[in-house]
Amino acid sequence: MSYTLNSGLHSESNVEVHKYYGGTVLLTAFLALVLQAFLHKYGRWAELVDLPLLVTIYFGVSRRNPVTGMFLGAAIGILQDALSHDNPIGLFGIAKSIVGYLASTVGARIDTQHPVSRLLLIFLFFHLHQAIFAVTERVLLNHPEPFFTLRLLLNSVVTAAFGVVLFAALDRLRKS
Amino acid sequence: MIDTPLRQRPLFLLAALVLAQVLLLAFQIKRDHDVRLIRYWAAAIVMPFERGGTDAVSHTGGVWSDYISLRGTRAENARLRSELDQLRLRNRELEGQASEAQRLSTLLNFRDAHVEVQMLAAQVIGASADPASHTLFLNRGDRDHVRRNLAVITPDGIVGKIVEVFPTTSQVLLINDKDSGAGALLSETRTHGVVKGSGDPDPRLDYVVNDEPVHAGEMVLTSGEDRIFPKDLLIGTVMVANPGNPFQVIHVRPAARLDRLEDVLILLTPQELKKPNESADANGASSNSPGIVQRESAPPPITKSTAALPGPQPAASMPAAPKN
Repeated sequence: MSYTLNSGLHSESNVEVHKYYGGTVLLTAFLALVLQAFLHKYGRWAELVDLPLLVTIYFGVSRRNPVTGMFLGAAIGILQDALSHDNPIGLFGIAKSIVGYLASTVGARIDTQHPVSRLLLIFLFFHLHQAIFAVTERVLLNHPEPFFTLRLLLNSVVTAAFGVVLFAALDRLRKS
Repeated sequence: MIDTPLRQRPLFLLAALVLAQVLLLAFQIKRDHDVRLIRYWAAAIVMPFERGGTDAVSHTGGVWSDYISLRGTRAENARLRSELDQLRLRNRELEGQASEAQRLSTLLNFRDAHVEVQMLAAQVIGASADPASHTLFLNRGDRDHVRRNLAVITPDGIVGKIVEVFPTTSQVLLINDKDSGAGALLSETRTHGVVKGSGDPDPRLDYVVNDEPVHAGEMVLTSGEDRIFPKDLLIGTVMVANPGNPFQVIHVRPAARLDRLEDVLILLTPQELKKPNESADANGASSNSPGIVQRESAPPPITKSTAALPGPQPAASMPAAPKN
């Protein structure tokens, strides 16, 4: 597999919108949530990767439809909140709605096929997601959630690296 | 439906979606005192308007009640002032009536204590137009069997004597008039003299020789020698006693308040007043008679009390007959 790095912006009319087989998006999102919850039982290493966030980013930049991206992000985030034991519903929902919207918007303007650009996108969206999450926690819950820590940096690097591999795998689910 | 540009529609949708989730969070999150966040927000949003509305209504009501609806206040104020004046007048009337009742009660007690003496209560209705003349007019006259030379007293002390009688009124010559005179004696030494008016508010006790010890505060009583005033009625107290030629100059302060008399008693007979306990025995009741002074024995320590009075004393010639 060979990649071409396109650094320049391109107009939305020239953007290629990827299509997937029916149920692929929902099934992938569901699996990401199940795996995240399942792997969480086997140690803290599972926290290094945020699978629901990766799925939100991937389908956002691939579908390149901000409305679809935000609703997908909202759905994944709300389900993630629902599966957590103490999060009020909406904490992850808000963060992933915004990430889904921005990922779709960014995906419509820059090349997101190259692994490097994907790595950078995932890294940046990870910290954006964390920033939104922290703001929501601080403002609404009065919890001193940190914006940045070394642990978060490690998480973002691992998630970005894992995301590059995951995105390549998910590319195979596209309709040709 | 809000008409938004096509390019901005996803942004509005995102805002709506985030807002919906924020509200969803607010429904779940509880803050202090277990109050949901949505309630805090609702209160924070609504309360300023509520407070503003309340203040507006309060200020509007205040403006109405303090300014606009005060149109009738001036008239009401005038009416209330008039009512206050009437009430003050009424209050003075009541105070006067209460004072009069008190005076009449005192007179009545005195009269009840001396039923053996015929007395007639009278009211002062006027005074002399001549400032140098100390006389009063009473509301009792010939129709009430008032005659000249009857003694006029109060429970505090003697006042004067009747000098003129009219059908329904009579005139009283006060003891401080310059033409007045009354047989008197000093309470401690029983020294006789004559209390004469000098034209001043306070009469003088004349005809007491310089050798007689007289001291300030000593009581001056009627001696009964003038056949007008019964014996041992209080005239007053010695204010000051100075040696003179040939007699002492003794100023007496009248016991009765001659300058503010309103109700008096006219003694219809010159009979001596009995001691109060004798009267009480006669009436089955007791009362005080402050104007009558007790003399227990001779030489008598005389005190102003309600104890025994001596028996009738023979009248003696007066050193100087009072003018009528």
